Amino acid sequence: MIQIYNVFKSYQKDSAALEGISVKIPKGDFVYITGPSGAGKSTLLKLLYGAEKPNRGQILVNGQNITRMRSARIPILRRCLGIVFQDFKLLTRRTVFENVSFPLEIQGRKRYEISKKVYQALKTVGLEHKLNRRPLELSGGEQQRVAIARALVVEPLVLIADEPTGNLDPQVTLEIMELFKGANARGSTVLIATHDREMIRRFPRRVISLDGGRLVGDRTPETFSVPRG
Amino acid sequence: MFGSLIYAARRSVRNMRQSPFLCGAAVGTVAVSLSILALFAILALNVQELTRHWSEEIQVTVYMDVPPQEEALGEWIEKIEGYPEVEKVSYVSRGEAFDRFRERLSEDADLLEGLEPDILPASLGIGLKENFRNRAGAETLIEKLRENPSFSDFRYGQEWLERFETFADMLQMIVTVLGGFLLFATLFIVSNTIKLTLYARREELEVMALVGGTPLFIKTPFLLEGALQGTLGGLMALAGAFVFFELFLLEGLAALPFFSGLYGIIFLPGSHQLLLVLSGTTLGLFGSFISLRKFVRI
Ligand SMILES: Nc1ncnc2c1ncn2[C@@H]1O[C@H](COP(=O)(O)OP(=O)(O)O)[C@@H](O)[C@H]1O
Ligand SMILES: [Mg+2]
Repeated sequence: MIQIYNVFKSYQKDSAALEGISVKIPKGDFVYITGPSGAGKSTLLKLLYGAEKPNRGQILVNGQNITRMRSARIPILRRCLGIVFQDFKLLTRRTVFENVSFPLEIQGRKRYEISKKVYQALKTVGLEHKLNRRPLELSGGEQQRVAIARALVVEPLVLIADEPTGNLDPQVTLEIMELFKGANARGSTVLIATHDREMIRRFPRRVISLDGGRLVGDRTPETFSVPRG
Repeated sequence: MFGSLIYAARRSVRNMRQSPFLCGAAVGTVAVSLSILALFAILALNVQELTRHWSEEIQVTVYMDVPPQEEALGEWIEKIEGYPEVEKVSYVSRGEAFDRFRERLSEDADLLEGLEPDILPASLGIGLKENFRNRAGAETLIEKLRENPSFSDFRYGQEWLERFETFADMLQMIVTVLGGFLLFATLFIVSNTIKLTLYARREELEVMALVGGTPLFIKTPFLLEGALQGTLGGLMALAGAFVFFELFLLEGLAALPFFSGLYGIIFLPGSHQLLLVLSGTTLGLFGSFISLRKFVRI
């Protein structure tokens, strides 16, 4: 599903955010990207959805080389991705329903289809009773769930989440993780950037570790879950 | 395609409802800027009308020392009327010239008591076509008239015409410069107001791009909105200018001695009115377009 070959990215001269990253993520995988703050996790995700361009290297998503893609094709790429942003990026003046329907509207779907899917997505995250609220009237955990519903509503090939449990309490984290597992079970490839060790411990999956822009580890669940000592 | 246009229209209406203040500001800016432009145009139009009116006075007068034979006169008139510069030719005989002179003196007419009517020469008054009502036109005509030895003197109010032409040229320049400046300032103000409305929606623009909106798709509602606001502003400017015209200009301008020669102060003709409203549309559309380039990046 995702192939990354020897990718370099630097925002400024002589300070690289990513140095020589190569990773393959097969279809249906569930992957954590971890590492300390500033390791380059967010940057890697941004490269995947075309918000940044790499200085060197190739990136293939769903068989398409996005580093060579004309910028007019980028929107088409994004339509098969579901992205949960670190700062949610919900529209504060729109209702929950309008926020979640946004990606479908943009794809020009029929109204009745939009209503049905949005309701379904909100039900999945347990917010169908709050569809007329506005994001700022919701708790942090609820806002996160709206953001996830917006990512899920397009039934994405790849679900990308940047620090999805950043400021949430453990109980809410648990609920959120269930949502990602559900999406993965329905066929989405899931990519989560996090520095939350606790989360990785409770839901062991493949872990790709970055540090200072370099790949420093890539462990599959079997080796990871083996108790040490 | 049609469906997405309807969708875009629905969205722009919703946008405007959601931020009525910004929408009002954009409409208001267009309305105010364009009414100033409209009032300026009315002024320019009337001054132009005035100069056109004045230029009707321009004519070449040919004096003849010896009163012409009727037959020869008919031939000359026919020949002169054949010249491309000439609109009409009228003959003033000695008697008529004397009568006119007396009329003009009115109360002092008794000064002429005892004088023979042949003290004044007979003349031909030659009216020029509109395109030739200037010094160059008069001069070329006079060159041709000189061929006839019976014509002894030619007059066309050289000095007056010179001053008039300088005035008309200056007016033309002021109108062009000021009008251009106003139009430019309007575009600047309008595009900045629209930039403000886009700035308020920047998160929406960003999210639209991030969830896969194509630039055209993202921009269309805003372009429609700009065009709609511009048109609305243009219509309001037209209405505003008309009210101002009826209330103040109509009597105010007519009261100025400068305009006293005019039959009436005129409002913008239909074509100009349409142009004004369309300028609103264009301003809104173009203002949105240049502002959007800053905000929509994929
Ligand atoms: N927009 C940007 N402009 C300049 N530098 C940036 C930008 N985004 C990230 N960086 C730098 O790139 C490095 C990696 O950042 P990031 O990918 O956000 O790390 P992480 O998400 O792992 O915390 C950091 O050193 C950060 O300062
Ligand atoms: Mg980050």
